[in-house]
Amino acid sequence: MSATPTLHRPDTLAEASSLLADGQRGLIPLAGATWLMRSPLRGQPWAPGYVSLGALAELRVLDRRPGEFRFGASLSHAQLAAATAGDRDVRVLHQAAAHSANPGVRARATLGGNLCTAEFASADLTPALLSLDARVVVLDPGDPGDLAGAGGRRELPLVEHLRSRGGAGSRRLLTEVVVPRRSRLTGHARLPLRRAGDYPVAIVSVACDTDTAGIVEDIRVAVGSVEPVARRWPELEQLLVGHPLDPVHAARTARECAGAPLGRAGVDVPGWYRERVVPVLLRRAITAALAAPTTGQA
Amino acid sequence: MLTVNGAARLVDAPPMTSLASVLRENLALTGTKLVCGEGFCGACLVELDGEAVPACLVPVGLVEGHDVRTIEAVTPRGEPLGAVQRALKDSDAVQCGMCFPGMTISLTAMLRANPDPTADDVRDHLSGNICRCTGYARIVESALAAAAALREIRGPRDRANGAPRDQASRTPRDRASRAPRGPVS
Amino acid sequence: MSTIGSDLPRRDAEDKLRGRTRFAVDRQRHGTLHAAIRRADRAAARIVRIDVTAARSMAGVHAVVSAADAPGRYGIGVADHPLFADGVIRYHGEPLVAVAAETLAQAEAAAAAVVVQTEPLPANLTMDQSLAEGAREIHPDWARYEELVEGGTRAGNIAWEATVVRGDTAAAFARDDVVVVENCFRAGRQNQAPLEPRACTAWLEHDRLVLESSTQNPWAVRNGTARLLGMRPSDVRVIVPPVGGGFGMKFEVSIEPIAAVLARTADRPVKLVLSRPEEMRLALFRENADIWLRSAVTRDGEIVAREAVVLMDCGAYGGEQPFLTTMTAHTLGGNYRLGAVRMISRAVYTNTAPTGAFRACNGTYNTFALERHTDDVCTAIGMDREEFRRRAVLRDGDIGATGQVFEGDVLGPMLDRMRELRGIEPRRPRPGELYGRATVVGTWFIFVGPAAATVNVNPDGTATLVTAGVEIGSGSTMQAIPQLVAESLGIHPRDVVVREADTDAAGFDLGVGGGRTTVSLGAASIAACDDAKAKIAKVAADLLEAAPEDIVIGPGAISVAGVPSRSITLAQVAAHAQTTTGPISGSGSFTGRGTPSMPGCAAGHMIDAIDIPVFAVHDCELAVDPDTGQVRVLAYRVVQDVGRAINPRAIRGQIQGGVVQGLGYALHETVTFDEAGQVAQSGFETYRVPLAGDTVPVDIALFEGAPSLGPLGVKGAGEIPILNVAAAVACAVAEATGRQVDQIPLTPPWVLTLLDGTDQLRHRHITRDWRANVLTPPELLEAAAGIRPCPIPR
Repeated sequence: MSATPTLHRPDTLAEASSLLADGQRGLIPLAGATWLMRSPLRGQPWAPGYVSLGALAELRVLDRRPGEFRFGASLSHAQLAAATAGDRDVRVLHQAAAHSANPGVRARATLGGNLCTAEFASADLTPALLSLDARVVVLDPGDPGDLAGAGGRRELPLVEHLRSRGGAGSRRLLTEVVVPRRSRLTGHARLPLRRAGDYPVAIVSVACDTDTAGIVEDIRVAVGSVEPVARRWPELEQLLVGHPLDPVHAARTARECAGAPLGRAGVDVPGWYRERVVPVLLRRAITAALAAPTTGQA
Repeated sequence: MLTVNGAARLVDAPPMTSLASVLRENLALTGTKLVCGEGFCGACLVELDGEAVPACLVPVGLVEGHDVRTIEAVTPRGEPLGAVQRALKDSDAVQCGMCFPGMTISLTAMLRANPDPTADDVRDHLSGNICRCTGYARIVESALAAAAALREIRGPRDRANGAPRDQASRTPRDRASRAPRGPVS
Repeated sequence: MSTIGSDLPRRDAEDKLRGRTRFAVDRQRHGTLHAAIRRADRAAARIVRIDVTAARSMAGVHAVVSAADAPGRYGIGVADHPLFADGVIRYHGEPLVAVAAETLAQAEAAAAAVVVQTEPLPANLTMDQSLAEGAREIHPDWARYEELVEGGTRAGNIAWEATVVRGDTAAAFARDDVVVVENCFRAGRQNQAPLEPRACTAWLEHDRLVLESSTQNPWAVRNGTARLLGMRPSDVRVIVPPVGGGFGMKFEVSIEPIAAVLARTADRPVKLVLSRPEEMRLALFRENADIWLRSAVTRDGEIVAREAVVLMDCGAYGGEQPFLTTMTAHTLGGNYRLGAVRMISRAVYTNTAPTGAFRACNGTYNTFALERHTDDVCTAIGMDREEFRRRAVLRDGDIGATGQVFEGDVLGPMLDRMRELRGIEPRRPRPGELYGRATVVGTWFIFVGPAAATVNVNPDGTATLVTAGVEIGSGSTMQAIPQLVAESLGIHPRDVVVREADTDAAGFDLGVGGGRTTVSLGAASIAACDDAKAKIAKVAADLLEAAPEDIVIGPGAISVAGVPSRSITLAQVAAHAQTTTGPISGSGSFTGRGTPSMPGCAAGHMIDAIDIPVFAVHDCELAVDPDTGQVRVLAYRVVQDVGRAINPRAIRGQIQGGVVQGLGYALHETVTFDEAGQVAQSGFETYRVPLAGDTVPVDIALFEGAPSLGPLGVKGAGEIPILNVAAAVACAVAEATGRQVDQIPLTPPWVLTLLDGTDQLRHRHITRDWRANVLTPPELLEAAAGIRPCPIPR
């Protein structure tokens, strides 16, 4: 157990990558630090050292192009919420970022950190971004399987990143999140046990394309905090296509649908409770999506 | 070398030590309280580059080059209470006192961003501030009273007439700190 | 000029807002070492070996101590509690060894390096395990423990038993004109969770020990520490900075002796602060409890008999619980006029963290049980719930459970006041929500007990008040008591200096809590003022050339009766005395009068009858979300019996705070144990206290005028606000859902379980006959109470 971990503050991505690549040193990336600073409370030892990503310009981009958004991984939840405020197409992401945790933590916790903390099941941004078909740009320093060569970044679907990101000692650097821009109805619903302030016991994010008659052409339903890792619910998505986008119908469908995420046990609630509230949150997320104004900014 | 409350302070501590711990133990600034160590209770809130953050979750090694303000600087000795503190005092909200530095920092930040909040806005904002004594009602009332008082002051009053200096009347540098900035770390 | 009844602001608010107040946890002394505790990692075990050799030699370590350094046992009813585990581990987290080192990190590293070898023993993690036939005794030597208070009945895993036997319940239950209603209830633990953790700095000064501690009870700390360290009590001095919340957790000696032993061994000051996980797992929780209750009631609403068994989980050591068994009679046996009574309260040992006192103690779950039961009684006899309460609540001259006679009609008028406060229009729930409302009644008492005070009159016309009273947040020592002293001496409260608690300076006090501060310390302070006023009068008489009995001490002036122009100021009197007869000071003390109970009726009680009963009526409207099980409070109202409101605004602050703590207890705060017997909730992430969004502003009416022997008719107001809340919420949820609510907290998963339909709670470990639940043979109890035993138990 390392009693006094080191902290490095590289100015460039190349420097950060080379620090992390050195397997002997055992350094891992440090983003907002809101998860890692609680290591002693979780009974987890410090890593030998940390590499802060805060000064890296590539991780601070905020790019709104016609076809896509590019969000730097170092954006805080607060900054992400501000950047997506009023943009109906990414409302789900705005809601996720604006209501996670509490204001103080939102000022520090980052987009990249939320997506890279494998042990944190209740991350709000993950299901929101899954529902938006987000992709991520990552760099795996020192990974011999990295086809782009040491120091190269690659873009992959978020779902792929979640599968391959590794656990607590992972050295993966996530630099950007790419969200394709589509005009769709989106909504986010989370359930803390109190009115606010706790980690939600379940999260549902929805993004939907409907035709002019309101019939679902394409829909994404992502569920977070129920299983250890957020995921989409393809069986439900298929059943909802071709029907009017209706919160009550969707909830009813979800209650009987195969492939529902399996509720993990926790100190907060038992697994069955998470499963039980998912249809409720689906109803709320769709209600939120339908409530967005139909023209321009929300 | 840290910039704390406007002064350069030399601190010798391992870089992953929390800022809260450094403020209390190394700099004897005990106004910032260390209660939960997880960012849930708000008792350790400080202003970092003008943003209210939980100091228990900030590694001190990341603070160099940034500006820290604690409750001690929010209302320095000899200066009158800020609007939020004045309202909390006038409503007799204070009981044991442990949560109030963090409450003050939290509500002051809220009013900077939202000068005309509803009671629900205040309660939502306080999702990261635990008080075990008061039951919150007077704290929420005080936030609304402070908001009203600040709106009064910011109104069509000539500052040259000596409007009292308080949380509202900040320098241009401070105003700029409210716009979205690059991340701190 | 009187400030009694005015909303005088508190003098410490500004420093607290500026962050200038230094709590025990903030204080720093040069050269202080830091302490860490090595704790047991299992619930029950025999200690084979503890090896501290490695720890002792580690960097920065100055002292390593364990049971051998502080032998002996302490406690409140029974001395069953060693400071460190002595040969046997009885709960997960029990202290084994403590270390003092230059830095906290060094102390923690050394504590971790201690070698501990144990042999597991079967653990009794629940009360039914402890009470099962053939259950292992957690304290095999229980019979040899010193009893610190006489009269306790105890054996095996029953740490203490208190009984009330009055009248013939068997005959009452056998009547053919009664309906019998029976319920079981269960309540979970609650963590006081004050924001300031327990913290103590200990150091030696001339062979005396000084303890600077975040405590509510400096004298208990003094005496308990002296006992464990084998010192003369007056060689231990306890000083108390402003306390960052206590709520009862800091009402007994706890970590101070550990800091003391380390300081004595290291010969350096030692600071011990419990970490947040330690505070969450090892708080002196409000105990969990299992209750069985049955009543025989006529269709007219007369309660002819009530029987109850209350099992209170005291954890591994008795602590406060032996004392708290007393309170069942006054709470579960309170509120209503009763015919015959059997109440049995048993404090039960389990291999879990010891429990303690938390604002209104077992009154909270007893009132929950009583009022839910009362609503079921109303359903069974077909009577409106408010109508029943009006008929059945205690009135002037009624006899309480232990036979004391209650004075005044208080609850009836308070119910009337609540009706006014409530108005006619109920709140509206949102579409789909289930609406419920309840009005509930509660009885509590002011725990009076001895207090002492000294008042020194200063030459500048101010007065210094010296007591062992501690400021834990309620404001009693910052507002109400200075108001009383100022009123008495004719000065302004800002001219009353309140000295920080110091056992070297102040006389004995039973501790701050239990709503007693304003009453007991207030009364002692007034007695001290009376003593000082006699001396002031003599000196003034001299200066004014009058007789002492003609001196009038009034607001701002001391004059001759009938000749207001012949007057001087207090400052002049004090200054004159300073140089002639000597400085003026007065001392006073106070203790309860000892209200009589019915002889032979109560056994094992530390308080047979309550000197100052206090009542509350609460009304709650709420909405239940049937999809998620969440409960949303729509409105909450309180009518509280305050006797006389010295500082109304301060009382309202206490009520708002107490109600919110009660909402946490009823709806959110959960303490569970894992298989190893450790508390699962280790921080504020998982232990959910109410936040601003979970609360509503409480509508409050202060009810004055009920009889009280407190100064100016005051009753303590700080404790009772929490008493009725779980009852109000549980009854309203029962109403909203149409389900039996017999367990708290009503967390969302539990509410959904209720809505889905679940079996009514039955305690298989409580035999449904009071006779099977007492250690003393039932015939003896009945004989002592003058009852001919009924030969055929029902």
